[in-house]
This record gives sequence, C-alpha cells and structure tokens, in this order.
Amino acid sequence: MTPFDCVTARSLDHALALLETHGAGAQVMAGGTDLLVERKTGSEAPGLLIDISRLSELRGIHLTDAGLEIGAATTHTDIMRSTLVDALCPVLAEAAREIGAVQTRNLGTIGGNLVTCVPSMDSGPALLALDALLSIASRRARRHIGLDALFVGPRKTSLGREELLTSIVVPRENLRMAMCFLKFGLRKGQALALVNVAAGFRLHNGALRDVRIALGAVAPTVIRAAEAQGYLEGRPFSAEAVAEAGRIAAHEARPISDFRASAAYRKDLIAVLTRRALDTAHTRAATARLEEAA
Amino acid sequence: MSSLIVTVNGAKRSASVPSETTLLELLREHFGLTGAKRGCDVGDCGACTVIVDGIAVNACLMLASQVNGRSVLTIEGLATKDALHPLQQAFEQHAALQCGFCGPGVILSAKALLDEKENPDRHEIREALAGHLCRCTGYVKIIEAVEEAARLLRERRAEVSSMPEIEAPLTPALERLAPDEGTCNRPEERQS
Repeated sequence: MTPFDCVTARSLDHALALLETHGAGAQVMAGGTDLLVERKTGSEAPGLLIDISRLSELRGIHLTDAGLEIGAATTHTDIMRSTLVDALCPVLAEAAREIGAVQTRNLGTIGGNLVTCVPSMDSGPALLALDALLSIASRRARRHIGLDALFVGPRKTSLGREELLTSIVVPRENLRMAMCFLKFGLRKGQALALVNVAAGFRLHNGALRDVRIALGAVAPTVIRAAEAQGYLEGRPFSAEAVAEAGRIAAHEARPISDFRASAAYRKDLIAVLTRRALDTAHTRAATARLEEAA
Repeated sequence: MSSLIVTVNGAKRSASVPSETTLLELLREHFGLTGAKRGCDVGDCGACTVIVDGIAVNACLMLASQVNGRSVLTIEGLATKDALHPLQQAFEQHAALQCGFCGPGVILSAKALLDEKENPDRHEIREALAGHLCRCTGYVKIIEAVEEAARLLRERRAEVSSMPEIEAPLTPALERLAPDEGTCNRPEERQS
C-alpha cells in the first residue's frame, strides 16, 4: 500500500475535529473491508486515515422515539444477531447475511457499506425500501437526510468533506412491515450481486398499500422502482399483479453489461426476483396476520 | 508510524510499524508467525484468517494499529506442546488438507464457529467456511473434519463436566504454550 498516516479516533468529536482540520486530505475508515482493498489496488487516496472502527458511540442498535437507530459503525454480524432487528425489520438481517463472508461481515459496517456507494451493495436496497433516514455530523452541524439523497453515483455520495455518517434510522412507521430481500450472485458465497431486490408492502383488506420495491446493481446507484410500486398500489394481491410489477421494474431499471452479466440478463433477473420478493413478502404478511389473530 | 501492544497467542508483544502495515504483515514480517498465509491479499480467499477477540477476520483487511490492546489467535497458538487441537487432529485423520495453504485459515474459522456452536449442522459449517478458497480438497473432507472436531470437543466437554473437582480449561493452549522465540520485547512477561 502507498504509505499513509492513520489516527485512531478517540471519540466522535475527535474524528469530526480531524475531518474539519484535514478535509479532503483525510479519509474515514470504519470496517476497512472495502477501503483497504481500494488502497491496495492503487487508486489515489488521501494521506490521512481516520479509524473510527472502535468508536463505541457509533456502534449499536437502539429503539428510539424516531425508530430503530443503527450506529454507522455497527457491523453486519451485529445486525444479523440483533434481537431488535429480528423483531422489527428482519429484512435488514436478511440482507446483512448476504454480504461477503463471515470474516467480512465481522469487520464491515452498515455505514461503510452505504458510503462506498457501490451500486451492488446489499444494505442499500433493504434500507431504501424501509425509507431509512441518515444522521450526518460535522464539527459545526448535524443534519438528517433520506437515504436516497446520499446516493449520487457509483462511489459518489452527497457527504461533504468534513461530514461523517453517524447513524441510520428506520422510521417507526416502517417497522414491522412484511418485506423480503433477494440477491442473485454467481456463487452462494462471497459474490457481488448481479441483481438484488428488497420489496414489501402493507395489506389493507386484501389490497396492497405502501408498496416499496428497491433494486441494486441495476443503475448507477441503488434505486426505487417507482413505476412498479405505483402499478401495485391499491391493487389486490395476485400472482398476475406481482408478475406485471416485475416486468415494469425490469423496464424502468437501467442495468449495464459487464463481465458478470449482460444488461438483458440482468433485466430478466429483475423481473423474476421482484416477483419472488413480492410473493415472499405476501406470504410473510399473511403469516404475521395469522400470528396476530392467534 | 503506529505503536501497539497486542496479545498474540497468549503472549504480550509490542511493535512500532508504518501505519499502512496490515495485521497480516505484522504477524508474518514483524512477529515471524507465518501460519497465516498471504493469498489474494484483498479478502477473497480466507488464507490469512485469524481470530481477534474471539471473531474470525481476514488479517489482510485489518491494519496493525486496529489490534492495539486486543488479543489475536493464530494457528501457531492452537496446539499445546503435548497435543494437537481436536480440529487439527480431525483434519489430519480425515486428510482434509492436501497442499495445506488454506488450512490455517480454515481451521481458525472452524474454531470461531465451534467456540460459539458446539453442534453445528452442515449448512452452518458451510456458511462459516464460505470465505475460504481451497483448490485441492473439494471441501467435502474439510466439512467432515469440522463435524468430527465438533464431536471430539463435545466428548471432551462431557469428560470435563464429569470431573467436578478439576477445573480443566477447554482451550489450554493459551495458558500452557511457551512463548515462541522472537525478537520483540514482551514487557508483561518479564514482570511475571
């Protein structure tokens, strides 16, 4: 690796002070599972690394008035094992389980996964479908944005030079929603998604409400399939309706052809995975209702 | 530069290394522990897997500074002077290693799994080992060996629990193993 300096942040304030001082000359490292690979493969990088991986104030999962708050430096393994996540938005654990392998999930963090802004990230679709909010801090200010406002392009976020993502909040009204995350990769372990999908909705008297479909690896950033969502909104659930939603989602996505798959193949995958995710979410919604009734 | 103190296989060691030094480089080049292998060096192959504070990590994806104050277990710390660890015994019995390059990493991932689950099923074993590439064995014998090791460890636990007066640690390696030869200062040991 090209030589660099590394400072282990002692606190969030310390990290923010360093960012304010060094700005573009500094880069934040959480889990390092992506950042160190990037550094080893030789791309240009700032000369100072700020290691936030051991800041306990950025790690942990709590239920607050706003919703389920996940510290940005919470690892994927923490999310998979969280009883709160399991009870309130298990789709996040379903997505976390698909990331890398045990070793990468033990180090890699949810905040790090988001700020890489890689289109094929697995945390993105689930959180985008849950309308997650982000807390962003700098030395001078705190602000909150929707996750969709973070994503600008491949490896490009809207974070300022002095800013740090501190936590992710799944709003209270989106907890306990029937959802499903599906990923298709070329292998079962350690593979990047060719396409990944998170989908869900609420059932009101048999009709689909509040439909969410988020797609990864099919556009410059993770996206919501707005037309497919609009098509399903208010419709009764049926096999035909979700199949049509899958076709619409495939139509509105803009996948590329690369060495992993052609754009046409990815479009086919979008249609199939969207349909399956909606089907599974429906089964889960029905099961949850039966459990509530019992 | 990063100055650090780390417990490696039960022994305190210190080092002062350039900030960009990875944990893998620290172990191999500064501490002379070459059990963890450099395969891909980007987190794909698992050959560098070690256990840090109880969890399996890719040593190539951590900086040395990140283990400051923590405890690292490498393959060198697994056996005692008297006996191989049950995982190592099982790998030998099942011929689960051929060239052996992936072995230290695979065995440490398996140890992290068995420390947590004493009776994992095949699916759980495959999940735990998904981050390892082995180009020789086809994985079948590796999985059988991990199942066998889980059996051996359960038997050992049963034996220990049937001996109420004796406190026998399940993983005595850290306590019993003599610190290996090295040039690094180990301040804590000198005090004791």
